[in-house]
Amino acid sequence: MRILLVEDDTHTAAFIAKGLREDGHAVDHASDGKQGLFLASTEPYDALVLDRMLPGLDGMTLLRTLRGAGNALPILLLTALGDTDHRVEGLRAGADDYLVKPFAFAELSARLDGIVKRNRSSGEREPTRLQSAGLELDLLAREARREGRRIELQPREFRLLEYLLRHAGQVVTRTMLLEAVWDYHFDPQTNVIDVHISRLRQKIDHGFDKPILHTVRGAGYRLGE
Amino acid sequence: MKRLLPSTSAKLALIVMGFFLAAFVLIGAGVYVAVSTLLLQDTRELVKSDAITLVDIYREGGQAALLNELQFRIQDPEGDPDAVYALTDAQGGSLLGRMPEARKPGPRGRWVQFNEHAPEPGQTLRVMAYTQTLRSGEVLLTGQRLQAQDQLLAVMKQAALVTLLTAAGLGALVGWLISRWVARRLRNLDATVARVSSGELGLRATLDHSDDAFDQVAQRFNGMLDRIEDLLSGVRHATDHIAHDLRTPLTRLRNRLEDLRQHQTDSGVQHKLDRALAETDQLLQSFGALLRLARIEAQPLEEDAPLLALRDLVEDAVELYAPIGAERQIQVQTALDDVHVRGDRDQLFQLVVNLLDNALKYAPPDSSVDVTLDVQENAQEAAVRLQVADHGPGIPEAERARVFDRFQRLEAHRGSPGVGLGLSLVRAIVTHHGGRIALQDNDPGLRVVVMLPLR
Repeated sequence: MRILLVEDDTHTAAFIAKGLREDGHAVDHASDGKQGLFLASTEPYDALVLDRMLPGLDGMTLLRTLRGAGNALPILLLTALGDTDHRVEGLRAGADDYLVKPFAFAELSARLDGIVKRNRSSGEREPTRLQSAGLELDLLAREARREGRRIELQPREFRLLEYLLRHAGQVVTRTMLLEAVWDYHFDPQTNVIDVHISRLRQKIDHGFDKPILHTVRGAGYRLGE
Repeated sequence: MKRLLPSTSAKLALIVMGFFLAAFVLIGAGVYVAVSTLLLQDTRELVKSDAITLVDIYREGGQAALLNELQFRIQDPEGDPDAVYALTDAQGGSLLGRMPEARKPGPRGRWVQFNEHAPEPGQTLRVMAYTQTLRSGEVLLTGQRLQAQDQLLAVMKQAALVTLLTAAGLGALVGWLISRWVARRLRNLDATVARVSSGELGLRATLDHSDDAFDQVAQRFNGMLDRIEDLLSGVRHATDHIAHDLRTPLTRLRNRLEDLRQHQTDSGVQHKLDRALAETDQLLQSFGALLRLARIEAQPLEEDAPLLALRDLVEDAVELYAPIGAERQIQVQTALDDVHVRGDRDQLFQLVVNLLDNALKYAPPDSSVDVTLDVQENAQEAAVRLQVADHGPGIPEAERARVFDRFQRLEAHRGSPGVGLGLSLVRAIVTHHGGRIALQDNDPGLRVVVMLPLR
């Protein structure tokens, strides 16, 4: 993917750019808002990583200008403050996702994959069935099957599995799961998600030779072969 | 405390009234005794002079003249109606009137007092009389009914009683008014102190600028609060600035560690780097929590905060955390009423989560954690009450106020994970929502009671 990074802090920018390049992406870096807006509106990118606080042209203005011009580029907004108001404001202005500094690179990478994939599939019809690695989810009947065998799930477990399946093959972080499946933005204090994942894992991997719900060290989880 | 105040001033009013009444009774009794003694003295003098006149008549005209004079006096319609006379001969035989006692008085005479049947049935009249033995052994009694004197005294007593009752009533009224005034002035201050000590540091006692003793106390009290708040915000700002300034270098440190970890193939070094990363994350989490705390404390709750179904929110939190308890056979039991509060959804969720996390952390295996949500109504207000109770070791009463302080962890719990900001955050959120929080004994264990305004 070709990614534009607009970030004024050189250290953070270097850290992100290095990580993204290692993931195999091409990265362009702009250190102020004006240059960022120029690049974003003239070059074709797959995603934009945008800092909220920028010298010159501020991140929110850049975001609004791009969206106002009808640019549908997937945008991940970065901020130093995890204020709910800022998050809501950012999402309303048209950001696809929001990430609070400091973050682990894995978190940024996972969220970036998430918004790019969502953007690509947004044109398609909303599926009624999700399928991956022998696991099948009927979204209408709220039924889960693995290789034909039915799995009994609690409503929340179903949502958890649905989210994992929608992001099959990608790394999903704990925070992403908390936000998407429980829909609250908070500090969980403990690794409460791990307990839910291990319960879900018991249900979907029990009795099968190959586990499909993997823990990715230092990042989160991944569903797949 | 509130109940104590009026009773203190009421007691004071009662004591003042008691002394007042005692003084009144004392003075009244003194006046009564003085007046009655004076009246009796007058009567005696009257009787004595009467007796002297009669003895003179006896001396000049003998028994017959005396008897004659006495009979004339008794029958004379113009005479004194209160005068009483009696005369007996030397052998004690009655010549006139009735002698109250048979004993003969000495030659110098003797004062006697007796009761006489009044014309009205059932009533008696007091008589003050002087008896003396005459030359030939006759006994003469000269007396005066004390009717007029007694009436005067009775009227005086009645008047005194009425005055006493009026004074008592008036005293009670004035005492009550004063006690109410004092109580009102003190209660104002007392309520402020109570609310301030429960965490509403921004509150000040209302001044009426009368510059009286109460107003001065209130002024000094406010000055003291200003000072406390200054000191506290100084400390808070220092920690917040430290948190903010250290976050950037810490983030860089974390990034470098992560970078190192990514390019490390030796699993032993990888493991060490993972540990270092976890430590850094813990630090960053603390700073994040501190900053969140600072923000929550700094911002007032918006007036038009959305109305939230607190029951759903608590159910979500319980559903999220119950599995953690289940790992240690701890059951989370809920009894939730459908209540709504205005507020920040994420903050309130954080509040419930922190309380649950705490309860589950300290609850012993095979026990239960009880979460209840209801509306608590009393005379003054109706509030939403959220309670989280465990059966763990609890918190000693002396340490309960301390656990809300930043980084404050009980000595006994130093070993367990956590940074000691959970309850600080809880209190900040509760205060932010205009509520109150209290720690109570669950006997055994801890019961956290959160009261939020019902809207």
